[in-house]
Amino acid sequence: MRKKRTACLLLLPLFAAAALSLLACGSVLAQSLGVIPAFGLEEPTLDYYRDALTSPAFHSALLVSLRVALLSALAAALLGTVLCAALVRVCRARGAMVSLIRLPILVPHTVTALFAILLLSQTGLVSRCAWALGLIDDPGQFPQLLFTPGCGGTILAYLWKEVPFVAYFTLALMAGVSATLGEAAENLGASPLRSFLTVTLPLSLPAVSQAFLIIFLFAFGGYELPLLLGATVPKALPVYAHLAYMHPDLRQRPAAMALYGVILLLSAAMAALYGLLTRRLLRKIGGGR
Amino acid sequence: MKKLAALLLALLMALSLTACSGKDEQAEKLDLSAASWDQIVDAAKGTTVTFYGWGGDEDRNNWLANVGAPYMKEHYGITLEVVGMNIDEILAKLAGEKEAGAAAGSIDMIWINGENFYSAKENGLLYGAFLDKLPNTEAYIDTQDPETLNDFCMPIEGYEAPYGRAQLVLFNDSAVTPEAPSSAQELLSYCRQYPGKVTYPALPDFTGSAFVRNIIYELCGWEQFQTMEADYETVKEAIAPALDYLRSLNPYLWNEGRTFPDSSTTVDAMFTDGELVLAMSYSPYGVAVGIENGVYTPTTRTFLFENGTIGNTNYMSIAFNSPNPAGALVVINAMISAGLQLSQYEKLRNLPVVSPEKLSAGEKAAFEAVDMGEGILTQEELLTHRLPEMPAKLVPVIEEIWLNEVVGK
Repeated sequence: MRKKRTACLLLLPLFAAAALSLLACGSVLAQSLGVIPAFGLEEPTLDYYRDALTSPAFHSALLVSLRVALLSALAAALLGTVLCAALVRVCRARGAMVSLIRLPILVPHTVTALFAILLLSQTGLVSRCAWALGLIDDPGQFPQLLFTPGCGGTILAYLWKEVPFVAYFTLALMAGVSATLGEAAENLGASPLRSFLTVTLPLSLPAVSQAFLIIFLFAFGGYELPLLLGATVPKALPVYAHLAYMHPDLRQRPAAMALYGVILLLSAAMAALYGLLTRRLLRKIGGGR
Repeated sequence: MKKLAALLLALLMALSLTACSGKDEQAEKLDLSAASWDQIVDAAKGTTVTFYGWGGDEDRNNWLANVGAPYMKEHYGITLEVVGMNIDEILAKLAGEKEAGAAAGSIDMIWINGENFYSAKENGLLYGAFLDKLPNTEAYIDTQDPETLNDFCMPIEGYEAPYGRAQLVLFNDSAVTPEAPSSAQELLSYCRQYPGKVTYPALPDFTGSAFVRNIIYELCGWEQFQTMEADYETVKEAIAPALDYLRSLNPYLWNEGRTFPDSSTTVDAMFTDGELVLAMSYSPYGVAVGIENGVYTPTTRTFLFENGTIGNTNYMSIAFNSPNPAGALVVINAMISAGLQLSQYEKLRNLPVVSPEKLSAGEKAAFEAVDMGEGILTQEELLTHRLPEMPAKLVPVIEEIWLNEVVGK
């Protein structure tokens, strides 16, 4: 009984934080419906949502965010799994290599953007090396990787951070599976590749797909990287929404809040999907409780 | 979401401030509209004034910390607390306080102008008319100057006091490109000559936005905009020649006009890196400072369009719920004195707001004695080529049209 009470007490700050963020979400939704009494806006209306959903700029922003999220999550899941398998194989998921891959995870996104600009911009380090080697004679000849409408720079920067994340996230499970069932398969005569593909990989998939969804959600709502490495147009959805929020006319605030409302609802839907998928996957491999 | 957290924090702070504002209110019983200046100065003694404004200019931050604040302490016993914050965040904070119904806020003075002043005044986020109350308005400011009467065509009505003046200028390195384009047409041939080496900051960056407005003035004149309605289609029709021109510029710009650098800071960095051959600034004496600091080469020089460039004034205003309006009045009054304006002219190379006709012979000589440095235009050249701003509410409309009609087209 006492234990329970202590646990509840310890959870109180968490509840407070959750209540506060719910309050904030509520305030965003209220404002997105056009209710800001301080500026003389009192009638609730869905007009702001209609305007947002029918604007071409919103469509392209949504597409950019989905594109960045999908491509970086897919590529990160794929490369991260390969990296993880290599780590398990080569150093048994221990040692300096594992510490090394934790580094990019710890680096903040703004710093990652700075790295990308320093390295990959047309006057960046790579371009300067190419110039020194006589491969190009003008910064303009170096391929434009950053600030392109295709978001190559943003996706590359996400990959640099998220490939190690997927590897790290999957490492414990995959190392466990590989050391037990994987080795059993090999003892029974399976080749290492076959043992990996038919035993270790399928059993590690829940972790990989969870990592995929985390990255997808994060990149979809991410602001810093698309802001710093994205094109002037089309902008990623969070950047577009922030721009609308910065509109000097405060009575335009509901229009911005409607954009945040859309992001909020889409993220909530994806989080629900994440919960559903995880539960199903767990049940499939018999790990659900 | 960060914004939201900031808003919530602002709300919380506003709440906590209301809770402990009892003491301040007692000190603030003085009726400012009826009080004499001496009474105001007395009431302000020993208080703290918070000054919120853009904190991105290191030189100005240093000046405020090393000259402005000590001056207030010494002459008026006021502690000046400078808080660096972007104007949109300041307005969001004020809006949050207004929503929460906070009687006493956390902001006294605000550094503001243009569309933000328009929005703040329209939405009741400002204290009210105070300019007439300041003795230095009468002593140093030209009260009939268009920029004392209107801010981006919005009647000021005493809601803000001038702080400094800005004017758009272009600059390049005469050793790299001998040409200094003095009109939109010359700029086009300049871009053709140096393809991929010219660009401007993506709107809504202040400098990029002013550059585009200046191109509009070049091709469509400036008079028609002073009274124009902020209607998307009306504005688009009026600026059609400028849009054509900007689109014709695109193929010769950096990255072929598909992307524009995110801010004037980035453009500046690209210029000093040699990636661009031309840059632009709202600080007409910025090149002199850059040459002194070794950021620009000694052959860098400032120039402007023959038909003139946009100039505007930035101002100081007081928040609607300022906990210490008396203190704010005293600080603002000191900021527009000849002494502090001269110091800003000297240390920051800021175009002063004091009227030359109102200066004493000694003060005038002191201004003239300041060595402004290399690579810049004289104050007279600047002021004779100075064009007024557009109405504030047209600015966001033009920015939106630019995004839809110019980028990548």
